[in-house]
Amino acid sequence: MKKVITGDHAVAIGAKLCRVEVVPAFPITPQTLIIEHIADFVNDGELDAKFLTMESEHSVMSAAAAASAAGARVFTATSSQGLAFMHEMLYATAPLRLPVVMANASRTLGGPPGIWCEYNDSMGARDSGWLQLYVEDNQEALDMVIQSFRIAEDKRVLLPVMPCLDGFVLTHTVEPVDVPEQAEVDSFLLPYEPDIILDPKRPAMIGTFMPSEYIMELRRQTAGAFESAKEVIQQINSEFAQKFGRDYGGLIDTYMMEDASTALITMGTVTSTAREVVDELRQKGEKVGIIKLRFFRPFPSYELKKAVSYINALGVFDRSISYHGGGPVYNEVRSSLFGMKIPVINHLAGIGGRDVTTKQIMKMFELTQKAANGEKVSDVYWHNTRGETV
Amino acid sequence: MAAQTLAEAAVNEGNYAVAFPFFGAERRGAPVLAFTRIDSKKIFSKTQVYAPDCVVVLDDSLLDTIDVVAGLKPQGMAIINSKEKPEDIDLGKIIKTATVNATSIALEILKAPITNTAILGAFAKATGIIRIESLEESIKEKFGEKLGAKVGERNALAARTAYERTITGKSRGVKKLEARKQWLPTHQEIPVGGALIEGKTDAGLIGPGSFIENKVSGWATYRPLRDRAKCTMCLLCWFYCPEGTIHRISDRGDLMTNYDYCKGCGVCANECPVDAIKMVRARA
Repeated sequence: MKKVITGDHAVAIGAKLCRVEVVPAFPITPQTLIIEHIADFVNDGELDAKFLTMESEHSVMSAAAAASAAGARVFTATSSQGLAFMHEMLYATAPLRLPVVMANASRTLGGPPGIWCEYNDSMGARDSGWLQLYVEDNQEALDMVIQSFRIAEDKRVLLPVMPCLDGFVLTHTVEPVDVPEQAEVDSFLLPYEPDIILDPKRPAMIGTFMPSEYIMELRRQTAGAFESAKEVIQQINSEFAQKFGRDYGGLIDTYMMEDASTALITMGTVTSTAREVVDELRQKGEKVGIIKLRFFRPFPSYELKKAVSYINALGVFDRSISYHGGGPVYNEVRSSLFGMKIPVINHLAGIGGRDVTTKQIMKMFELTQKAANGEKVSDVYWHNTRGETV
Repeated sequence: MAAQTLAEAAVNEGNYAVAFPFFGAERRGAPVLAFTRIDSKKIFSKTQVYAPDCVVVLDDSLLDTIDVVAGLKPQGMAIINSKEKPEDIDLGKIIKTATVNATSIALEILKAPITNTAILGAFAKATGIIRIESLEESIKEKFGEKLGAKVGERNALAARTAYERTITGKSRGVKKLEARKQWLPTHQEIPVGGALIEGKTDAGLIGPGSFIENKVSGWATYRPLRDRAKCTMCLLCWFYCPEGTIHRISDRGDLMTNYDYCKGCGVCANECPVDAIKMVRARA
């Protein structure tokens, strides 16, 4: 059924279709609509779930971890300062292998305080053990909530997943979304059946104190689950494509990359705008393409290497800064491509929620093409930033 | 504190020294490790000590469960808080050994079974690595600063007394201590996320209920002795026992303490409103 809805609404419907059982919640813009919609579903009897209004985000994630350890399918949503406030508990959820799914409405993490899209909130959680993915439109937002539960609960993975959607650019934007039938989702996502749960009838210890004799092996085990996740993500993407007719490519997606000589790595909604830019440049005969980085964790090093093997220069879009030069995506990409002789240029844009226009994306391609032609360019560009030259 | 005080005394003598503890989540009284390195030049190594020149044992009940001299250098020395003479102590090999009854000295002088300052006196006497005067100075300074000059003086006296009463000799080497078994799963074997249900391994139980194997009676310096005639069965001791070692025997309307798990903390005696519980020495 087609509905014209916001990204937040799409995410909430996704959670409902997954028949989530516990939703601990705390409001924060631009995520609030998600939990408000879910509260409505529960109130109207459309969703049989425990909706817990918590006193803080730290409590939200504590409750989420505990409910998951008790065997429930748990969903919540947060953003920015909220994600920062629950940071400690993110680290409790992942290594204990609790498959919570939490949507993050990407928003600048202050100070100075702001409410618009930037990735510096979720990037701070990149080593917490959560899988992270970034969506391009409201359809993908809904679909990826469903896929996230499949990935999270897969016995080869058992890790929490954080689908990120651009604050306001998706959360508060309406567009047509094809809402799957409940029966279809039910046959795609079976009930969560963990092996060990907190149950007085069968006592278990989850998350108890551990000395150094065990923690290193546990970290190694979690690192192994991240490796397994790569295969699981691809597999579930294919299964989803077969069932629902929408193929997102898995870890990465590509556009016009078959014969591209210059490519731009994008994330989130900038991918969407960049598709139109590529179409325009292609009409002028320029061989450009896009690699959409869908999953930031696990980081698709192998897939990226394969995707760029025939190109002459690569641009990397970053919507946050890692204070030692470029953005976090740029640094991950560079280390993934180590040994390949492709110039990699960083394009910082959209920070603090500044609009990323087609003109800026044009400029990103232009500068990357210069590098492809062997011209001298900088490593890092700040786009549409007063005092900078681009 | 003993390791740190020793390091401080060594530094005051013009050496370089480092000291650090290693312990788990247990409370005071649980077995802990502490290390001191002394050298004439700066020490860079930040690892634990695996082949020491000297092993100091503050609780001789450990000798029954742990091979305390496993890594000791062949010419090394063991210093043990014990009422026994060195030749009556079996360490599984014949090595230079010094003993002193530091617990008695501590009870006598400090009125508490805290043996870390007394044992340092034995260390000074047995090894000659540090002068007793330097130790006395460091103890007065370190303990005095924290607990007042009087406590500092008394602790220095405990060290001096132990220094005078230390007996040196050689240990016996008869018994064979088996290395303690420990459950050490690989990252493939460890249950997902470290979640444990009741289980049994070659090294013993794991998961909920596994602490039943963790008998801690060896920690206790004192154990509670209840006078049934005075006891009113108010159950405050049962309520307050932090380890749950006091059990109600319902058919007799009585209480029983399980000494296997009693750490001798004395909370029960302290809480008893009719003074029916006395703390008595667990070992002489």
